[in-house]
Amino acid sequence: MSKTTEVEKDKKRSIPASAPLMVFFVGLFTYFSVASEYFFDIENFRNIAVALAVTGIVCIPGTLLMIAGQVDLSVGSAAAVSGMIMANMVNKHSIAVGLITALIFGLTLGIINGFLVTVIGVNSLITTLGGLATLYGIALLIGNGQTVMMRNFEWLGTAQPWGVPLPVVIFTVLAIMGAISLRKSTYGRSLYAIGSNPNAARVVGIRSNRLLFITFVLSSVGAALAGAVLCSQLSAADPNAARGLELEVITAIVLGGASLAGGRGSMFGTILGLCTIGILNNGLILLDVPTFWQRVAQGLMLIIAVSFDSLRQKLNNQRS
Amino acid sequence: MNVDLAHLKDIRKSFNGVEVLHGVDLTLAPGEVLALLGENGAGKSTLVKILAGDIPPTSGSITIADTELARLDVYQARQLGVRMIFQELNDAPTLSVAENIFLGQWPGSKGFVAWGDMREKAREILKRLEVDIDVDAQAGSLRVGERQILEIARALTQNAKVLVLDEPTAALSNSEVERLFIVMDQLKKQGVGMIYITHRLDEVSRVADRVQVLRDGNSVLTVDAKGAQRDVLVTAMLGHEALKNARPAPVSTSGNGLEITNLSSGDDFTDVSMTINAGEVVCLFGKIGSGSSEVLESIYGLRPVTGGSIQIFGKKFTPKSPQESSSSGIGYLPADRQRLGSFGSRSVAENLAVASWKAMSRLGFVDAGNEVKAFSRWSDALKISARRGPTQEIATLSGGNQQKVLLGRWFEAKVQVLLLVEPTRGVDVGARRDIYDIIRRQAKESGMAVLVATSDYEEVVLLADRALVMSRGKIVSEFTGNSVEATSLISAAS
Repeated sequence: MSKTTEVEKDKKRSIPASAPLMVFFVGLFTYFSVASEYFFDIENFRNIAVALAVTGIVCIPGTLLMIAGQVDLSVGSAAAVSGMIMANMVNKHSIAVGLITALIFGLTLGIINGFLVTVIGVNSLITTLGGLATLYGIALLIGNGQTVMMRNFEWLGTAQPWGVPLPVVIFTVLAIMGAISLRKSTYGRSLYAIGSNPNAARVVGIRSNRLLFITFVLSSVGAALAGAVLCSQLSAADPNAARGLELEVITAIVLGGASLAGGRGSMFGTILGLCTIGILNNGLILLDVPTFWQRVAQGLMLIIAVSFDSLRQKLNNQRS
Repeated sequence: MNVDLAHLKDIRKSFNGVEVLHGVDLTLAPGEVLALLGENGAGKSTLVKILAGDIPPTSGSITIADTELARLDVYQARQLGVRMIFQELNDAPTLSVAENIFLGQWPGSKGFVAWGDMREKAREILKRLEVDIDVDAQAGSLRVGERQILEIARALTQNAKVLVLDEPTAALSNSEVERLFIVMDQLKKQGVGMIYITHRLDEVSRVADRVQVLRDGNSVLTVDAKGAQRDVLVTAMLGHEALKNARPAPVSTSGNGLEITNLSSGDDFTDVSMTINAGEVVCLFGKIGSGSSEVLESIYGLRPVTGGSIQIFGKKFTPKSPQESSSSGIGYLPADRQRLGSFGSRSVAENLAVASWKAMSRLGFVDAGNEVKAFSRWSDALKISARRGPTQEIATLSGGNQQKVLLGRWFEAKVQVLLLVEPTRGVDVGARRDIYDIIRRQAKESGMAVLVATSDYEEVVLLADRALVMSRGKIVSEFTGNSVEATSLISAAS
């Protein structure tokens, strides 16, 4: 019996990855609640959730990728292209055709990314950095640099079944699926193993390339879906609407405790990171801070998060 | 009146109050090659480190080129012309040969490198060594042996008089070894004295003038290399307590487990054949580079097979990839645990269960409870001590405990054939015994065929039912049961 209590005690002693962020989140939440009379309000929370849903949809496969030690920088531009395709197709044909072509675009892009990384062997950072630039150009080309208005398809972005915005519902469903996959499925476990030690993963018989390929496809399809939702929210496809999405996604994931080197991270952490960014952006607006400061705050938060993580790991290493 | 290049006298050295060198003498004449032999821990490295000024001796005197010193530092040693060449390369692979020869001390002035001058001098030095290497080639594009010669060339530009070569041939092919020896012959003619540390006894008579054997911090034998008998050297290295396998040979053989016929992989090994019975533990003993670990890599699909065939419990098996092999009931424990074995940031339970996820899962979902159960099943049998239980990160365990988890990984996966490469490298002595016991017991209980590649003769003696000795890519002899003992193993492998 004493053995188990000892184990419990030791368990408590190691600091969970998301502990500092949790403290920060609660602190920030309390501060905004006191500082602004508009913050602690169900309507405001709904706004925050809607603002986060698009980023959140991309964050889910993004977390899977980061855990496997990979990164996808092309998601912002991919969302932009997806929106442009959808707006044009919805205007010319129908909603169904628009949605399907946008998702087929995501699928194709994911196959290309996955092929380049797992078959050709290009570093994913470089592959998707190239994708970021190329796709942004394509988004501008499609609309000739202009915003394309889209008619009669607002429900994907604005419908509120049972009072909950549809994008938030989509995000929540995907997040639950992602969390269960990571924790319970052989697929999710294998991603942790691949990120933790790619060579050992190969030696132990994990089909790393196949799983990474699938994850790149999920990432691009997620980006395409996010682009479609964003387009529907705005009733227009704006080539610049999703600029910087990749940075926001990576910030949320890293804030949530994932390691850029792979092998660490969780869906819960990512969602907490996402919420932190959400209330920070929202709170700063409510406090009338110029919007430019949002970028500064987000950048600083990323740096602080990574520093905290390094410190935490050092502390944990000293204990053992 | 002193004609010696270097003279170490009555050198003693203690670390934390434990004496590891008990008054060792060593002399080296100009143009002489002294082979320094000894088992791991005999004190060879400590002795040459003292000569190179890396560590100060506790007592004793050092004389280099007629300068007697109570202690010398690295800088002084370099001034006096002592240079070390290590087994690992210390070059800049993306720079040119010429740049590497003058690494850090490029000829030139005012911060600019005089390229023409440098290339000319580099060519001169390589000519002096009678090697044909293009000074403009990228160092990384050369063979390992050539890069080692570059290191020697670098030492020469810095006016080396005493050259210490620490197992330089460990990673070299036969032709490269011969080439290195030719370079050493050249250096001899130029009066450079060399201390040559090696494990390969056959090299001694080829390259050395004298042999000195260290054992447990004492110099036990110094003889002329020409007449040195191999048996005499081995006995001197081991002392008189050569280990013997006291176990009887296994009686029960329940059919052939792993059967290999004429297996080859390029130049690494050729025509390797063996049969391992179910429940039997066979050790493939050989020095690094002998091809023993390469055989296991090929069986597991990590190295291309260029000829021969493999049968597993009567079924033909063609290695394609580690994925195929592990799903065909083969387990593989790599020598490099950190790089190829453990998932450092993951829990011990997960590390143990990773090869069994398929069996533990339903519709692609793993039951974490099963992982924990698997861990507790093996943590007792393997005596794994993980203070924080199944969720502790594996990287926080000792080497021995990590290795036990990785062994448990394949036991849990119920493999039919288990391939182990250097299973106790970096494992403390206590855990070693545990690991040997577990491997033997598990093999008998489950009927696995176990093949172990190792360069540690003690491991062979303590672990093997049968031992096959490899040298230069071929199996050269076989020992069974009580005939598995250290002297004949080492003699056969050298």
